[in-house]
Amino acid sequence: MALLLPCMESLGQVGEEDAPRRLLTIVNHLSFYQPELIPLTEGPFVKVPTLLNELSDHFNQLKILSGLDNPAVQNGFGHTPCVGILSGYFNKLHRKNRISIDQAVADEIGASTRFKSLVFQAGENLDFSQISWDKHGLPVHQIDSPRKIFNQLFQVDEDERTQQQILAEDRSILDAVLAQASSMEKRLNVTDRIKLDEYLTSVREVEQSVRRRAYWAERSKPRVDYKLDDFSRKSVDDYVGTLLDLAVLALQTDSTRSVTVQIPFWEGFKEPEISGNYHDLSHHGQKPEKIKKLLVLEHAILKRISRSLSMMKERTSGNGTLFDQTTTLLTASMGSANSHNFDNLPALVFDSRLRTPGHWQMQDVPMSNLYLGLLQLFAPEQEFFGESTGAFEVLA
Amino acid sequence: MTRPASALLLAVWLATSALLADSKVEQFFARHCVGCHGAEQQNGNVRLDMPVRNLVVDVELLESVVTVLRAGEMPPKSASAPDARSVGEVVRVLQEQLGSQGSNHSLKRVTRSEYTNTMHDLFGIAFDFEGLLPPEHVERGFDKFGDVHLMSPSQVMAYLKTARFIAEHVLPGVKPESKTWEFDVRHFHGSKNFATGGGGDYSDGDDYVLTGFRPYRSNLHFSIDPERHDQFVIPEFGVYRLDVKARSENSKEGEVVGINIGDGRYPTSFRLVQRIALPHGSNSFTTRLTLKAGDQLAFTFDSARVPGRSLVKHSHTGPAMRFTQVRVTGPLTDQWPTVAMERLVPNSKMKPSQLVDHIGMFLTQRPLVGEDRKVFVNMAREQQKAGTSSLAITRSVLTALLTSPHFIYKSESSELTPVERAHRLSYFLWNSVPDVELLNSAKSGTLAATPSVQVERMLKDPKVARFIDDFTRQWLELEKVDDFGPDVRVFKDVRRMTVDSMGREGRELFHYLLEYGMSMENFIDSDFVMVNDRLARFYGLAAVDGDSFVPVQLPVGSERGGLVAQAGFLKLTSLDFTTSPIHRGSWILKNLYNERIEPPADVLINEPDIRGTTTVREAILKHQQLQSCSRCHSKIDPLGFALEYYDPVGRKRNVYRHVEELPIQQKGTSFTKELRITSVPINAAMKLPNGREVRDMTTLKTALMADKDQIIKGIIGKLFSYAHGREITLRDRPDIDAIFVSITEEGFSLRAAIHAIVAHPSFGRR
Repeated sequence: MALLLPCMESLGQVGEEDAPRRLLTIVNHLSFYQPELIPLTEGPFVKVPTLLNELSDHFNQLKILSGLDNPAVQNGFGHTPCVGILSGYFNKLHRKNRISIDQAVADEIGASTRFKSLVFQAGENLDFSQISWDKHGLPVHQIDSPRKIFNQLFQVDEDERTQQQILAEDRSILDAVLAQASSMEKRLNVTDRIKLDEYLTSVREVEQSVRRRAYWAERSKPRVDYKLDDFSRKSVDDYVGTLLDLAVLALQTDSTRSVTVQIPFWEGFKEPEISGNYHDLSHHGQKPEKIKKLLVLEHAILKRISRSLSMMKERTSGNGTLFDQTTTLLTASMGSANSHNFDNLPALVFDSRLRTPGHWQMQDVPMSNLYLGLLQLFAPEQEFFGESTGAFEVLA
Repeated sequence: MTRPASALLLAVWLATSALLADSKVEQFFARHCVGCHGAEQQNGNVRLDMPVRNLVVDVELLESVVTVLRAGEMPPKSASAPDARSVGEVVRVLQEQLGSQGSNHSLKRVTRSEYTNTMHDLFGIAFDFEGLLPPEHVERGFDKFGDVHLMSPSQVMAYLKTARFIAEHVLPGVKPESKTWEFDVRHFHGSKNFATGGGGDYSDGDDYVLTGFRPYRSNLHFSIDPERHDQFVIPEFGVYRLDVKARSENSKEGEVVGINIGDGRYPTSFRLVQRIALPHGSNSFTTRLTLKAGDQLAFTFDSARVPGRSLVKHSHTGPAMRFTQVRVTGPLTDQWPTVAMERLVPNSKMKPSQLVDHIGMFLTQRPLVGEDRKVFVNMAREQQKAGTSSLAITRSVLTALLTSPHFIYKSESSELTPVERAHRLSYFLWNSVPDVELLNSAKSGTLAATPSVQVERMLKDPKVARFIDDFTRQWLELEKVDDFGPDVRVFKDVRRMTVDSMGREGRELFHYLLEYGMSMENFIDSDFVMVNDRLARFYGLAAVDGDSFVPVQLPVGSERGGLVAQAGFLKLTSLDFTTSPIHRGSWILKNLYNERIEPPADVLINEPDIRGTTTVREAILKHQQLQSCSRCHSKIDPLGFALEYYDPVGRKRNVYRHVEELPIQQKGTSFTKELRITSVPINAAMKLPNGREVRDMTTLKTALMADKDQIIKGIIGKLFSYAHGREITLRDRPDIDAIFVSITEEGFSLRAAIHAIVAHPSFGRR
């Protein structure tokens, strides 16, 4: 059974271009307390609320959009609709989703790096924490252990030949199961065929990634002088910080050009002066004591993100800084975690090329318009994304 | 010529009668529903002003319409109420409509636990696929439901890796050499080196003593070199025997030791793999574990008396666990070649085609045919041509077959074949593949004709424990029992093993009713409870000896009978400090009545603003005023509120204890978190939608007992959907009703219900 695979030659040619474009996507599952994030006025940053002020070092490269909607994300069902934040789609009757923006971009720019994209996830990967979906609407693996991420990126594989042997064997096994599935599919009714199609699609994807791995297994991994220290999973600074550090390193070493980081529903986050867990605090019921505690965590998260952006400004790559080459999207999967509202979403875009920084108040505008705008930065010919009704001009 | 004509006539007659029926329904909707669910208003985003044939396309909407009509929840009382007969008529027509649509039940794949058990039964190896195969994520229903089984590249990768892991270990190249390691106090390490202060574990003469004083840290692990702290690592995959000399001190009862896998320096990442109940007075235990290369072992004192985290510093005087010696022997090989090797390769001269046929048949009891077979045979032949060893070829074939749809997906024809029927039954009662006897019975036709012989045999087999575990864990949501740790500052007498016992009580009740053929009414209320030593003490019942559960007759006037009085249920529906009547009420509705409830997908839940409310009751009653919520909450809330006399860990209470955390006070290097506890009176009385008032446990159970038929049908429905691997729909209701009726004479025995589900014709259909 022959497979249509991309030309192998295209892999691994880190192009002559000095400044490849990259995308960093950060999603905060439990959102932010918006009254402290969104400026009261549109336009330039004049009076800035306290949360947003954490990002003041990057105001010249920041557009903050508020009030975005995800019209194709159905409400209800606890946290589950959060899975649709990056795709703009969630249907509770369908387990499949649609392609998410990070993967749409990765499909455009991911061909020549070791990993097409990397998706990191703090805490346990729960059902509702899946935010990254491939072009078939299937979940993309979200790695939840910093140690695993580090090893994948930088650790030298011990026995290269065994590795190659296993990959070769994997390929012949995948060929066989793919052929069996195709043969079996002919005997099935329509419903079952849809189900088996998911299997076929998945096997094809795995087969491609196995070929990709075989190619890269022959090439050594980049070296970095970053030591993955022991860190506290309970500390926002430590845990989110470690994941963001790894994200920056992955981009810097050109291991991938699209990294997605999710800061999820993480019960474990605690700060010394806080009792109660993050999720519980997010359901603050407008109680001031709870909001105060919640804000401590949100400040810590934004402070750490700001630090990573600064770090990217310091690191050079080719002709410019890593920050200059990277578009960063920061958004949240709920408008408010207090009420489980999946509209009225905030989105922050950092790009050194953007001409007018400031606040854009949106109304009845789907998130997908921003996503299309972002996608066009990487692939100008794209005309649609999800529920888009037009493209938001990111660089204007 | 007569036949076509009469057929035509019949068709015309059917069509007209259907049309007549449809117009009746439409008239009914127009008169009673469209006012609020029509062009002008769409309450709950439901619109019913359309032809029935358009309406029935939305199966989910139709199901909820039928549900509210049957329950008399709609139309609301104030509207011009339709008479019961016309409601019944409409329900009948809609149900027929639903029934006439063909079934489209999803293809199912084997779940992680089915996969694990299947490997055990086929190869005799107790694999643990933690970290290899991801568990199924389930939000409602059971993990056996086909429609929750999403396939993804990472799932396929996981199957491939798991299959390779299995192939490597069921077909080892050489016979592993068994070794014995002995460890004593010189090699033992505990928490004391890492503790910030005293009160931890310590060595004392020839013993190492676990106090459990710091439960999140306390553990015993060991290293080969007494001078170093490198924890002993299992060198290769296999079965290991552990002989441990350990005894309790300062204790008058049985104690519990946990065996964990993980790095002893980071006990929070431990994975508990076995609990050993040490009877009082015993001084050693022996157990067997299947471990893999790289595993590290550590012991914990799980029945330690110090609960939760304690910040108080003082020496430990309570019960402790003394360890003198740990001996690890393995990997053990009972015979060589192993059973698995003999089963997989019965003769060493097998050709590639024979190998494929044999392993394919062995794994699924279904032959591989045609193209399906050819691809694997070709793969094996090519490897043979390339000079690959026969061991490597066999491993490859096994890996490929285990990764293929032939194994991963369950084969189910619209009318189950005998082999498929045997599989459905064994996935139901053994959570695994059928054995030879069951297959033979299926092939001879006996199973379909008189299933009771096999069902009875299977229920007597120890493997039935898997069904009891798996079903009750999911049905009763038992895993949630430890989601919120009881705060030691408030719940002083609740310890790790008390919570553990609470999580087993529901399972043990199910087990007991099943084993002794007792009535499912006991799930609603019973005059006995299943308890072990700790739970008996917690409930204030006569002392029970040991960790195993036994039935204990309740004293007159005790409220503890039935699922809703179990501490486990009361705890798993609560938070850290507070109960959640909504969780409790919706648990009863979902799990006893088998109702489908979920937050409405089309209504945005208004942002709760509960600043002005003081008790949970007030906060919740505020929600209830919202029309969008009230349909479900008018049922959920009274059920949950009646249980307010039971606190978050399931103890009886007479007032709310409102817990408030005070600001932290720092004294030198230590800091304390103080609590302020205030009392608020309880008012639990509320009216159910049918007008009946419930105000406490007794009246609640009376109300549930009045709905006995509904609840027993609900439980049958749960069993039915677990057995069939799919959600039940209105279409199944006649079948459920028939099963219910068929076990009336047996007093609704749980055992009879399982027999009846298997004997019912629906069991043979996809």
